[in-house]
Amino acid sequence: MFIKVAALTCGLMLAGSTAIADQLEVSLRVTGHFAGAPVTMDRAALNALAVTTIKTSTVITDGTHSFTGFLMRDLLDHLGATGDSVTAIALNDYAVEIPMIDFYDFDVIVATHMDGEALSRANKGPFWIVYPRDNHRALQDIRYDYRWVWQLYQLDVQ
Amino acid sequence: MRPFQNSILRLILPLAAVVVFAMLLTFSLIRMFEIENAMRVEAEQNMLWVLHQSEVAALRMTETASLADLGEATPGDLSLRFDILVSRFALLNDGPQRRFLEKIGFSDDLDHLSGTLASIAPMIAGFTPGDGRPLRDAIAPFPRLFGRAANAAMIAEWDELGGRLEIYRDQLRQIIASLIGIMGAGGILAVTLVLALRQTRQRNRMLRRERDFSALLVSSSGEGILAVDRSARCTMWNGAMTKILGTTAEEAVNRPLERIAGFFDTTTVRQGIERALHGETSRQMLQPLFRKNANEPLYVDLRFFPLRNEEDILGAILFINDASDRHAVRQKDTQDRDRLEELVAERTRELDDALLRERSAGEIYRNFAAMISHQFRTPLAVADSALQRLVRRGPHAKPDEVVERADRARGAIAGLTRLVESTLDAARLDAGQIGARRVECDLGEIVRTVCARQRETTPNARIDVRCEVSGSVRAFCDPAHAEQILENLLSNGIKYGAPETSVSVVLHADAQSLYCDVCNTGQTIPDNERNQVFDRNYRGANSVGIVGTGIGLFMARALARMQGGDITLQPDVVGVTFRMTLLRFKGGKT
Repeated sequence: MFIKVAALTCGLMLAGSTAIADQLEVSLRVTGHFAGAPVTMDRAALNALAVTTIKTSTVITDGTHSFTGFLMRDLLDHLGATGDSVTAIALNDYAVEIPMIDFYDFDVIVATHMDGEALSRANKGPFWIVYPRDNHRALQDIRYDYRWVWQLYQLDVQ
Repeated sequence: MRPFQNSILRLILPLAAVVVFAMLLTFSLIRMFEIENAMRVEAEQNMLWVLHQSEVAALRMTETASLADLGEATPGDLSLRFDILVSRFALLNDGPQRRFLEKIGFSDDLDHLSGTLASIAPMIAGFTPGDGRPLRDAIAPFPRLFGRAANAAMIAEWDELGGRLEIYRDQLRQIIASLIGIMGAGGILAVTLVLALRQTRQRNRMLRRERDFSALLVSSSGEGILAVDRSARCTMWNGAMTKILGTTAEEAVNRPLERIAGFFDTTTVRQGIERALHGETSRQMLQPLFRKNANEPLYVDLRFFPLRNEEDILGAILFINDASDRHAVRQKDTQDRDRLEELVAERTRELDDALLRERSAGEIYRNFAAMISHQFRTPLAVADSALQRLVRRGPHAKPDEVVERADRARGAIAGLTRLVESTLDAARLDAGQIGARRVECDLGEIVRTVCARQRETTPNARIDVRCEVSGSVRAFCDPAHAEQILENLLSNGIKYGAPETSVSVVLHADAQSLYCDVCNTGQTIPDNERNQVFDRNYRGANSVGIVGTGIGLFMARALARMQGGDITLQPDVVGVTFRMTLLRFKGGKT
């Protein structure tokens, strides 16, 4: 039963994505107090950043997964954006203020792919903030778990 | 029995406390680790929020559908809301969330709505204004279901949280009980520790007192005490040692023992220390100890002891006791004994001599007849021959001749009388009853008298008298004895001399003594007989066939010695010389 439903859901997500994908340009909006703000990073601009992959488990999935994307600090350094914290905002208006220091203490990435597949809007895409949870015991804490913002579309640097 | 029980209790109580302490501590730690692990909040326990967000997504989908129906929302907006709703389903169908919904009994409903959602997808793709109503109707069950699910999730989560808190409380209560137990055990341990500390302090105080007392004993001891470590280095040196050896404790301590004084480098001390370091006790009595600036040694008793700490030998202790007084007493005892022995020996010798004399006296008397015949025959013969001549001449004898012959006979009889007296004197002397009657007399006169008498007895013998003394030839002696001695020496000289040779009598002197040497050219006396010729009744190898008793020389020497003189046999190359020595003055060397 579960397998059937899962397959159905997958099909649903694919249907949703493929239906809209073409008309959607994947982009990340970055606002805040830095030169050139606000910036909308399109796929080409994001592709210029170094690709990083981390393997970790998550609290909302079973097993370990491979996440590919770019380091949050690379993005901020690239933009020259400095501040104390970054507010990450999801498509459903979920917003979390993340201390800037997280990105320098840990290899926090903005994932675009999970297990080699691009994240779709119907399933946690287009961007998912992923912490290297399995590598650091300190990160195995609910106070870090709520910082894993998925369906991310905007960052506000303060 | 009671102290024994007490000590057992004292041992067992802390041990039990330690065991209880450890067990309770382990138990508490295990419990606390369990709580620490359990206190992680899993994200799946956040299902209320997940379901709320799902409900919001569904409501906003409915809202956007209405707006789109009115033309106030774009198809893009609708697509976004639909994608967000789909993503909520994706999330709810992921492992942890799915399992929770199964637990609270909403999985079937979720599957049903998933099917509905799949049927909605075409409606979104081809949405046109006016399509809003069927879309809203299709979505209508979604918020209701999510609302009910949220309700159930809240109850489940609170139930679970309440249960977990109860477990935590139970475990904390156990930990609190354990901590109380630990405090109790800790209290017992602390009390035991305090008691033990007090006892230790008390023992330390006692030990210190004992040590101080020992130090006092050592320092005030009249006996020298020193201690060395295993390398024979001095570690202790008391005041008495300083008195004995003159080395102070500061100079001695920490120095090798043999460098402190030569006495410690002697074999006796080295061996004693060596044996003590091997655990053997030993003692050496009355060892001489020579000190600096002192001629007389001290005599000391040494006692060596090992210095032990349980099985280990830490060093050695040497006690030195000044035993000089005892040594002196022993020395005196030895001297007294030696003197006593000497006295006894002397007395024994005297007794032996007396016994010998007694025996000799007996011998003399036994041989008295022989001696009479030997000594007395000569004067008797002289008197007899003079009287015979007178008888033979009878009336033809001229008055002068009668006088002369009578004088000769009387002279011989007078000599005989003297001889009898002297012989009796000698016998008395032998018995210890007589001494010499020493007077000053002319030895030259005596020599002449004796020689004249000898010529009468043995007319054929040639006697040369020579006097080499200028002035007085007076001697301090008993004249009868001197006469008898000379007669004896002279008659011997003639008797044992070679025939047709002369006997010489030489008088000479030095400051103290007069000497009268009687020499013949007879056979030399062999060395082995030289000492024996003066023995009583000894007769030499050359006396065979010659009349004699063996008394003459013995008597002569005894008489000479009695008046401070002597008879000696001179070492001769040719012939035999007997020397009579007499003192010249009274009180001269005897």
